[in-house]
Amino acid sequence: MTRAMSCPAAMTACVAGIVIAATPAVAAEPICDKSEIRLVNSMREIAQPYHANLDKGGRLFAAWAGLKNYVLQLNQGDSDKQISLMRLLVAANPRCTVFNVEPNADLVVKPMVDAANRSGAWIVTHWAHNEGLHPFDGNDHWIAHVAVDSLEAGVAISTRLVDAMGRTGGVVALQGRLDTDPARKRFAGLQQVLQHTPGVTLLDQQTANWDRTAAFPIMQTWLTKYGGRIKGVWAANDDMALGALEALRAVGLAGKIPVVGVDGIPEAIAAVEKGEMVATVSSDAYYQGSIGLAMGTCVLTGQVPLPASWPKEHREFYLRLVVITHDNAAQYLREPQPETYVGDWQCDKLWSRSTGKAF
Amino acid sequence: MPATVGLELRSWAPLLALIVSCVGFGLAAPGFATVENLWTIADRSAIPLILAVGTTFIILQGSIDLSIEGVMAASSLTFAMCVLNNRTGLDLGLFSLVLATCAGAGLGLLTGLVTACLRVPSFMVTLGVWSASMGIAMLLSGDQPPLIKDPMLRALGLGRSLAVPNLFLVAVAVVLLGYILQSYTRFGRYSMVIGGGEDMARLLGLPVDGYKVLAFAFGGLLSGLGGALESARIGLGHVDVGAGQMFATITAVVIGGTSLGGGRGGVLQSALGTLTLAVLTNGMIFVGISPYAQKSVQGALILLAALVTTWPLRSRLRIVK
Repeated sequence: MTRAMSCPAAMTACVAGIVIAATPAVAAEPICDKSEIRLVNSMREIAQPYHANLDKGGRLFAAWAGLKNYVLQLNQGDSDKQISLMRLLVAANPRCTVFNVEPNADLVVKPMVDAANRSGAWIVTHWAHNEGLHPFDGNDHWIAHVAVDSLEAGVAISTRLVDAMGRTGGVVALQGRLDTDPARKRFAGLQQVLQHTPGVTLLDQQTANWDRTAAFPIMQTWLTKYGGRIKGVWAANDDMALGALEALRAVGLAGKIPVVGVDGIPEAIAAVEKGEMVATVSSDAYYQGSIGLAMGTCVLTGQVPLPASWPKEHREFYLRLVVITHDNAAQYLREPQPETYVGDWQCDKLWSRSTGKAF
Repeated sequence: MPATVGLELRSWAPLLALIVSCVGFGLAAPGFATVENLWTIADRSAIPLILAVGTTFIILQGSIDLSIEGVMAASSLTFAMCVLNNRTGLDLGLFSLVLATCAGAGLGLLTGLVTACLRVPSFMVTLGVWSASMGIAMLLSGDQPPLIKDPMLRALGLGRSLAVPNLFLVAVAVVLLGYILQSYTRFGRYSMVIGGGEDMARLLGLPVDGYKVLAFAFGGLLSGLGGALESARIGLGHVDVGAGQMFATITAVVIGGTSLGGGRGGVLQSALGTLTLAVLTNGMIFVGISPYAQKSVQGALILLAALVTTWPLRSRLRIVK
């Protein structure tokens, strides 16, 4: 790889100036001039709040870092498209391009990492990837993988649920699509908590395929079948939690039976604030949409050494999740402020939300 | 005569399937056979019933409608953005229900015109309309699905009148309307004729194309109504409001005894098929069948129901497609 040696001193000073407060000793030579750096957020679509927030997070970082070249790539749920969009873009100026990727499916990670290794572009991936694949196994351009521990999410909401129930009574559980990893792990989180809470019993579990409309009639049927025995409703995502909440509303029980979900979508946060839901867990889309770009920028500007020399737990780590309850809901309903994230974007604080090595 | 016996059995078979499943679940789970659960099942089947009525006419004519979920999504967003909501400043109340239903009818009309006038198979046209209307819905949805704030429409979607779920009352009205259309209008009778033999109908000089357009428009209208009512129930306009409804509706229509080849069946049979499916999904939760096994159990029961309904039709010369 050829290094850009032409970077003017003034520019270096400027980059350093932005992060002067916490700048560590310059760890490597800059790879790119700041004006050459191109930031790419690759995700499914922006019709859902989660994805829209990924994009907002990315733009927030770009504006904060003073980088003008920000590209949004949407694949509309098409894995091949996600890969080919990347390949098209790296045809030009790959070595100064950073991809922050929300993989459409686990299996797109490998081809995208391969494309980065071949072209010299840089990539950070999120959520999950196929087993046996690691950034530290010779994938020098795969800066890092930021994994989300679905078991932790399941445990977190289940703990809040049983507490809200006074650790006694029956609970019903709405599962996600049974063949998906997050569905399995979030439910395992519930089972783990129930094992340690003998007073709470699982009355029934059904799958509503992550879907709000499907959750509604299932909740209705449970209300008919179990009636007053239901003291808590557990859902593997917020959409199903909100569907169940409407079924509770129909019989005047909204806000009277605790409901929990996962994802932290705005409506769920609003329901938490109103007291109709007890808790939801968020991976913080603003953070996920920006951290990869921040890592890449730190590498390209030479403020951190090349990823190949990083310890393993910096290349592949679990993200600390944010549990949203009545106490902190208001904070997450507001538009994101850069100040909330600046601490995470500093080149020496890139791992501030890591809970340790993933997988 | 075997033919007459077949005819009789055929019309009774869907009812038989419904009764058998009710009795079966009633014996297996004590809480199943209660008035409260009757209304739970009624509420669950309300929107599928509305969809099934529209689809029946299309299938009776020998066409197919794969656009249900897309049309529901488009009408759901139209509805949610016209009522009092958190995205637009509009507050059109009940009129937005009319608008959303008309949007559905418009999409159905488009399908009908392309199918009948441009002679594109309905399978392909409705697939295209599904995708296009899904796209419209996504555009309307933007990054934040609109939340419905109109208390009157929320009450329509969630509430009950004299213990009966409101939406079920709407569904019963739609089924009656469908039955009247089928039995007492030219549209209904000719739909049967067109499905039985389109070439024959054309030779007889029937305005086949017109009735085809009408059937798709009516189907779109009811998909639109279904999408809007589902939104009123869950409280927001959502692109996935019809998720899974297309296959469920076609399944319900077919196990009710309406032949996919066209020309045989009717609205009441489709209603029975829909109720049977609702009883199956409700009953499986009551009996406590593991969700891991439910899909296969449901599939097996649907096959069984289809077998029961089509058993009398196994004549030597009948063509099965």
